[in-house]
Amino acid sequence: MIRRGAVRGAAVLGVVLFIASDASTQPRTPATPAEMVATYDALADTILAANKAERKLVLSILSATYGHAQAEAARARQALKANDAAAATAAIENLATAVGQIATEGDNAVAGIRKRLLEGGHHANSEGEAQGVYEEGYVIVTKATKKELLDSSQALARLARAPKAEALEAEWKKVEAAWTKNIAGAK
Amino acid sequence: MPPRICRAARACALLALTFGGACAPRHPPAAPNAAPAPAFRFVDVAARAGLGRVILAGRPEKDHVLDSAGTGVAFLDFDRDGRLDAYVVNAWSLDGATVTARGRNALYRQRADHTFEDVTDAAGVGGEGEWGAGVAVADYDNDGWADIFVTTFGRNVLYRNLGDGRFTNVAPALGLETPGWNTAAVFFDADGDGWLDLYIAQYIDCTLEDVLKAERTLSWRGLEKVAFGPFGLKGAPDRFFRNVAGRFVDATDEAGMKDLALGFGFAARAADFDDDGDLDLYVANDSDPNYLYRNDGTGHFREVGVMSLCAFDGKGAAQASMGLATGDVDGDGILDLFVSNFSEDFKTLYKGLGDGFFSDVSAETGVGPAVYRQLSWGAALADFDNDADLDLVIANGHIYPQIDRHPEIIGTYRQRASLLENRRGQVPAGAGETLFRDVTAEAGPGFDVARAHRGLAVGDFDDDGRLDILMSALDGPPVLLRNEGASGAWLTVACEIPGGTAVPVGTKVTITAGGRRQTRDVASGDSYVSTHDPRLHFGLGRTEMVDEVLVQWPDGTRTLRTNVRARQILVVRKEEKSPTGGPLEPTRSGRH
Repeated sequence: MIRRGAVRGAAVLGVVLFIASDASTQPRTPATPAEMVATYDALADTILAANKAERKLVLSILSATYGHAQAEAARARQALKANDAAAATAAIENLATAVGQIATEGDNAVAGIRKRLLEGGHHANSEGEAQGVYEEGYVIVTKATKKELLDSSQALARLARAPKAEALEAEWKKVEAAWTKNIAGAK
Repeated sequence: MPPRICRAARACALLALTFGGACAPRHPPAAPNAAPAPAFRFVDVAARAGLGRVILAGRPEKDHVLDSAGTGVAFLDFDRDGRLDAYVVNAWSLDGATVTARGRNALYRQRADHTFEDVTDAAGVGGEGEWGAGVAVADYDNDGWADIFVTTFGRNVLYRNLGDGRFTNVAPALGLETPGWNTAAVFFDADGDGWLDLYIAQYIDCTLEDVLKAERTLSWRGLEKVAFGPFGLKGAPDRFFRNVAGRFVDATDEAGMKDLALGFGFAARAADFDDDGDLDLYVANDSDPNYLYRNDGTGHFREVGVMSLCAFDGKGAAQASMGLATGDVDGDGILDLFVSNFSEDFKTLYKGLGDGFFSDVSAETGVGPAVYRQLSWGAALADFDNDADLDLVIANGHIYPQIDRHPEIIGTYRQRASLLENRRGQVPAGAGETLFRDVTAEAGPGFDVARAHRGLAVGDFDDDGRLDILMSALDGPPVLLRNEGASGAWLTVACEIPGGTAVPVGTKVTITAGGRRQTRDVASGDSYVSTHDPRLHFGLGRTEMVDEVLVQWPDGTRTLRTNVRARQILVVRKEEKSPTGGPLEPTRSGRH
């Protein structure tokens, strides 16, 4: 975050220097005071860094959610091996939730933040949005990937009603493939 | 309880007096060589029936989205005389930043001749000067009288029915005012304790000052400046209140219904979407993913819209959802879900797959493309031609009056309501035909008039066995479309719990007739900020006898009636002994 006080201070300093120099020298070509340029330069670094930070943070959210999904998949396998249908159901449902959250780049709390950013006019992928590749506000997950993962989420949720090991593996492979191909390599 | 009897014959006779014999007898014999009456024919009788109060709607140019939001309507029987009455919510009118009029809501009491008298003043239900939004009718205190909850842009109003034709506002005392822009309200017994809990959706976090100072700053296709939003505006959180023996406690967080995404809530419906014996809740959000709250049977919820595939359309995109309708459109015994959306987008029909999962079938059923250009709001799945399947009526109307200057682009601000006929059983498989067919153009003069429609409620106000439609429209009087179509046989089931609630929300009725099984439930929510007739209507086609009527009460007990003749309003009271030996055992153990 930029400190408002620092910016204001730099601006005042710039004006003072400008007036002082203007009084002591001959007329010359108007130029933006160097201090203001430097301040703006620093601000640009911050803005660009913020964009990168947003991307990294969303990737972290996705990675954490994927890790959660892996854990739930493992738990579901164990439950199925132990013939514990109730535990398998719970684990697969959690897995479905996690996959859905990967599709939507986070849960409803994250969606609320994304909405706030959009309200403020911030689009992480404005070019991709214009091309129809990304939904508004999405940072990593494309529309196509989202659709794949949503389908998997529902398939898993339905599977949770009558858990079967082979079906679980088949659907999980699809999730892994979508993750590896479309998300894991994102920078 | 006063009699709520089958009075179809009397109704028709009275209707004949009122409307020049159009319904006496109900199906007059056709003259030789006369063309058969059309299956769909609706006539707007609002004016001559006495529904005349104009619904205000902000400024003419709709500078703020609130100016365009419109209001809800309801069918109810507030005085328990067996006749449907009507309630119409009103808003304000503005001139720039000046409030020029505060519209008053209207309660219309139906007379025996099927005209209405305005009893708003006597009843004391004018809306307390608030900018009205929606209406939900329920018996929150279980005293046997229907109460009226009015959502507002301001402070909500809960009119408790005193049973003598008068009401009193108890919202302040019960903590239900929830200041803000409230939209849909849904009463439902979430925790199975016999008391109706309450979900209130909210839309945008804004103040009256924001509304009054609003300017049209959003560019519409570079051609016009229109009202800004909802994008760029902050959503407001929905709330959930538990009803504890007539008192309400905010249980939003405790119940798992915290609105983390601050979706722009517009419509909601409680129903048992996963058919596990408790009521779930679907919330339609404008421009945001929709929510499906799955009830765990104890009144605690998990939001599962994404994995149930009803948060987005079939392509995974969030839509600008305005209203919704539920029902079993394909007769497979599973609830389907229709969601109305913004213009130039498919209106989405989700096929229920069972266990609370859905699949977007908008394209293949014909629903999506039929109303692609319209901006749709209230809706209902109901059998208007009594052929034993659910048709779809949709209230349409744009939010930008400015588009009238460019009608070639997407049409006009005022739009005709749409009527889609369900052709289940009529369309050969693989014939390339769709399940729904747009019959708006052949639905009579009532569907010929373009308006900025918003709220919509369905009910058989004249008890002739044909479902009528009540709609609100911006800057005009309400619309009451009387159904004059040539229709098949029918049965209406009125469910009553003597000594209990006047509106048994969640009660489910399944009938078997003519080899078909049909299910309806007493709804709360549905459509757009409106309330349907709580009696459940079934079209029967040519079947004049219903083999079985099975009523599943909210507490899980059941009542069975067999060999019920058609063309009547069948009253089923909860304590009634069934022909098979009395009330059946609860469907589920433990919970109830």
